[in-house]
Amino acid sequence: MAFYEQHIHPKPTTFLSKYIFSFDHKMIARQFIWYGILGLGLGGMMAMLIRWTLSNPGVPFPVLGNLFFPMSGGVVPPDSYAMLFTMHGTIMIFYAITPLLIGAFGNFCIPLMIGARDMAFPAMNMLSFWLAVLSAIILVASLFVPLGAAASGWTAYPTLSTLIGSPGVGQTLWAIAIFVLGISSTMGAINYITTVITLRAPGMGYFDMPLTVWGLWLTAILNAIFLPVLGAGGLLLVFDRVFGTQFFLAGAAATNGTGDPVLFQHVFWIFGHPEVYILILPAWGMVSDILSFFSRKPAFGAKATALAMTSITILSTLVYGHHMYTTQMSPLLTQTFMTLTMTISIPSAIFFANWLGTLWRGSIRFTSPMVFSMGVVFVFGLGGLTGLYLGTVTTDLYLHDTYFVVGHFHYTMAASVLLGSFAAIYFWFPKMFGKMLCEKLALTHFWITFLGLNGVFMGMMMVGYGGMHRRIYNPFIYEYLEKLIPLNALITTAALLMGIGQIPFLINLVSTLFFKKEMAPDNPWEVGTLEWTIPTPAPHYNFKNIPVVKCGPHEFGNPNLTTGRDFQYQTEELVKG
Amino acid sequence: MNTLEVKNNIQYSGEGEKLAASIAMIVVLVSFSMLFASLFLAYFYYRITEPVWPPMGMERLNLFVPTMSTTFIILSSISLFGFNHYFKEANQLKMKLTLALTIGPALAFMGSQLFLWESFKNIGLYASSGIFPSIIYSFTWIHVAHIVAAIFSLLWLVPISLKSEHTFKDENVVLNVGKFWHFLSIIWLIIYFSIFVF
Amino acid sequence: MNKIIVTLISLFTSLSAFADSVVKSNPWSLSTYLPPEDISVNGHLIDYLFNYTTYFNIFFFVLVCLGLIGFSWMYRAKNHPKPYYTYGNKKSHILVATAIGLFVFLTVDMNITRISNNDYVGVFTNWPNAKKEQVLKVEVLAQQWAWSFRYAGKDGVFNTEDDVVSLNDLRLPTGKKIVFQLQSKDVIHSFFIANTRRKVDAIPGRITRMWFELKDGTAGDYEIACAEMCGTYHYRMAAKLKVYPQEKFDRWMTEAEEKAKQENDADNAELFWGWPWSSNSNVSMMKK
Repeated sequence: MAFYEQHIHPKPTTFLSKYIFSFDHKMIARQFIWYGILGLGLGGMMAMLIRWTLSNPGVPFPVLGNLFFPMSGGVVPPDSYAMLFTMHGTIMIFYAITPLLIGAFGNFCIPLMIGARDMAFPAMNMLSFWLAVLSAIILVASLFVPLGAAASGWTAYPTLSTLIGSPGVGQTLWAIAIFVLGISSTMGAINYITTVITLRAPGMGYFDMPLTVWGLWLTAILNAIFLPVLGAGGLLLVFDRVFGTQFFLAGAAATNGTGDPVLFQHVFWIFGHPEVYILILPAWGMVSDILSFFSRKPAFGAKATALAMTSITILSTLVYGHHMYTTQMSPLLTQTFMTLTMTISIPSAIFFANWLGTLWRGSIRFTSPMVFSMGVVFVFGLGGLTGLYLGTVTTDLYLHDTYFVVGHFHYTMAASVLLGSFAAIYFWFPKMFGKMLCEKLALTHFWITFLGLNGVFMGMMMVGYGGMHRRIYNPFIYEYLEKLIPLNALITTAALLMGIGQIPFLINLVSTLFFKKEMAPDNPWEVGTLEWTIPTPAPHYNFKNIPVVKCGPHEFGNPNLTTGRDFQYQTEELVKG
Repeated sequence: MNTLEVKNNIQYSGEGEKLAASIAMIVVLVSFSMLFASLFLAYFYYRITEPVWPPMGMERLNLFVPTMSTTFIILSSISLFGFNHYFKEANQLKMKLTLALTIGPALAFMGSQLFLWESFKNIGLYASSGIFPSIIYSFTWIHVAHIVAAIFSLLWLVPISLKSEHTFKDENVVLNVGKFWHFLSIIWLIIYFSIFVF
Repeated sequence: MNKIIVTLISLFTSLSAFADSVVKSNPWSLSTYLPPEDISVNGHLIDYLFNYTTYFNIFFFVLVCLGLIGFSWMYRAKNHPKPYYTYGNKKSHILVATAIGLFVFLTVDMNITRISNNDYVGVFTNWPNAKKEQVLKVEVLAQQWAWSFRYAGKDGVFNTEDDVVSLNDLRLPTGKKIVFQLQSKDVIHSFFIANTRRKVDAIPGRITRMWFELKDGTAGDYEIACAEMCGTYHYRMAAKLKVYPQEKFDRWMTEAEEKAKQENDADNAELFWGWPWSSNSNVSMMKK
């Protein structure tokens, strides 16, 4: 329930207050979208370089190679390769997916879907974006310092990430950039949590919130709790590097070291495992909503879905040890973490049951958001199931740190989240920018991306099962991996396909934004949640009068409806037979 | 538009804003607690895995300076409680007095921390001399960084103590700055007892 | 112009090399996509569990796909204009969803957990007892970017003058339990032998352990890799594994011990990177 009503602020007039230092959550969302798409582009370019190197080691990267690596004649050198995969991971997780799903759609959806005029703390919201920009600047700057950027993987395990393994200043900048981004995301999280608790429209209980808001809210809670843990680890790492403290240096040569590098892994994964769910929860929420919206029937077991998300949120904090089986924890700890990890499959199975239940006997419209959401169900099914191999300790002994892991987490974190983000972009684009994206291009985009990403990530799992380990510059110095050369080439081709698949998206984006004249209707998808009750694009105050919520977000196909629509708005009294 | 005009029970007394601010403050404090909890996790992890503590034949530290710091910060916290009380009573004179008694010891705490680091240096204890000094230095650094921020937010109370009329925004500030300061006192007490005393 | 020609030529050579590798790799044979040959006595446990999980995964994933594609086809708007109005909160609905959740958990997860648990406790961390059986002990020191191996030598005590030490060249017998203790000199590495399905991290400041036994008839050359990112030349941190039949190994060992006696320089401090064999059943921290 709303605890208070925000005032309508005067419309910002200057360029600076409207586009740059805007307090308006919708503008901040748009800023985050561009930020995220830039991040995707950068991270994707890096992925291309990585893939090229893996399938054609020692061959100059076509066309752009000489520009990036003039010293080696266009060939990616091994040290740059390490920087590339480190930066690829960091950028994709923290500077592409996080800003897209949490920054952009968190900001856009939460106030609109719960019927608020803005976030609870608009100034902090703006600060959160600009801190994220600062952090990105630090990270990009680290690419140009002597000895290059961070090169110890996105996990930055000491002692490789201490001065012993990476003497350059790049690693320090990396840690500082992540720390600053952590502050930015925590600020966002504080805002989201408070907004959802205090600014829901009158009449809206927690279970009347769309599942999108549920996902974003749980994500914000995880962010607020666990980002500081990464912050603490990052700070200690920076202290080790800059002030010569001894937290992670044990036993390594040339130190008098006490301390223990494994501690960092504990701290990192206490944060790192929830982070996986931080990324996927918003996508789950959106998918649950969109499946219901376009099946034209209420979300199957919406309450159960919300509760399953909550229980996964809680469980995610207890299972981090499965990332550390090979460090040889005590067998008791190992068993505990394995068993806890397995329990996650109960809520996950309930998700899938509910998603399929939503489709069951619906009246499915294959719009672009729907198709992308169904793509999420597919790839998350694969990603989730392959997690079983890695949660079980004995199979993990073989698969840990192989490409199987890479394939698995790309399915869950990259494929599902990426498809989820695209679903969200296609779905909310009209409300955000006032115009509809072209459906035909969107479907082309979907099929190419879908084919490409399955080729890439399935291929990765296959080479991983064949024994190819992670983060190697040239796998083929190992004889037993030589047989995997063609498969690696196939993955690279698929990656190229996936890259090409983004061209229709960009064309769609540019042509719609700059050349399309036709404005979108207020409710193009015929959906009843609150953001569709207001004009398109949303006015700066969102709701002229704060709406009063009278029914749930998924009221479709009610046979007693007499309004001529097959759905009803959340502001309408539930029609009963 | 289906938005209905209703008479809702939303009022502009600022109660809602106050609640939002205090919820946000709770989230902030949870975040900070997790930061310090991770640090303490590290501390206990090291402490348990070392066969003797302090390790490597180091001696226990002189408790004089840390005890002084503790006294200062407790004093400051208690005065802040007083300030809060007199703020509600709108007793301007006593507000000023208690605020001075908060900020004074707060600055003294800062001074004592600087003195603590100086005294470590004098006995040849540097951040790089092992895990024990590493822990002491890092924890006090991080804590002091928060103290600096908190002292700035305490200065925010100065104009409030000079005013006779208070808005609900002032009330918010007093409440939340207070929470933050007490939180840092508690963190210091934990550092004091777990690292210095035991 | 020259550049373009050079690029084209290099592209062409890489293409032909690629075509060559395709032919050599035998892309239509299933074995290309399977892990390398299993040479350890217990490696099949891991392969078995992998396959077991795979069958269940395929079953459940096919279910998901059937639902996804089947429902898409059956309930497309054209075909099925009137959706069924339900919240999925009928008793039967809840029952089905719960049943699916529990079914997955009980049939797959608990089975996998049980099997894996038994294997882990009963085999992989069931350390061979040197007092009761013949065990070959090897110390492994990882460093950027090489593996050093140390056998105890004649006296059976590590870090003494008669130790047999080798670099990137590990020789092991078949039919005998082999226990490794690992440490790292600088950063974290991971000792990965794909042919035995096993890996363990080598961590500075603590000892980690691994054991396996090699099957009879697996004599030959294999490879050891570093699986944990350890710096620029991580990919080159490979060592050779030579597996000998028992008698041949003993012969080699005797020779190597003789050689070690003659060649090991007692004054060379760098030779003594080993550590006393730790009998602690748990992972032990090395404290100075």
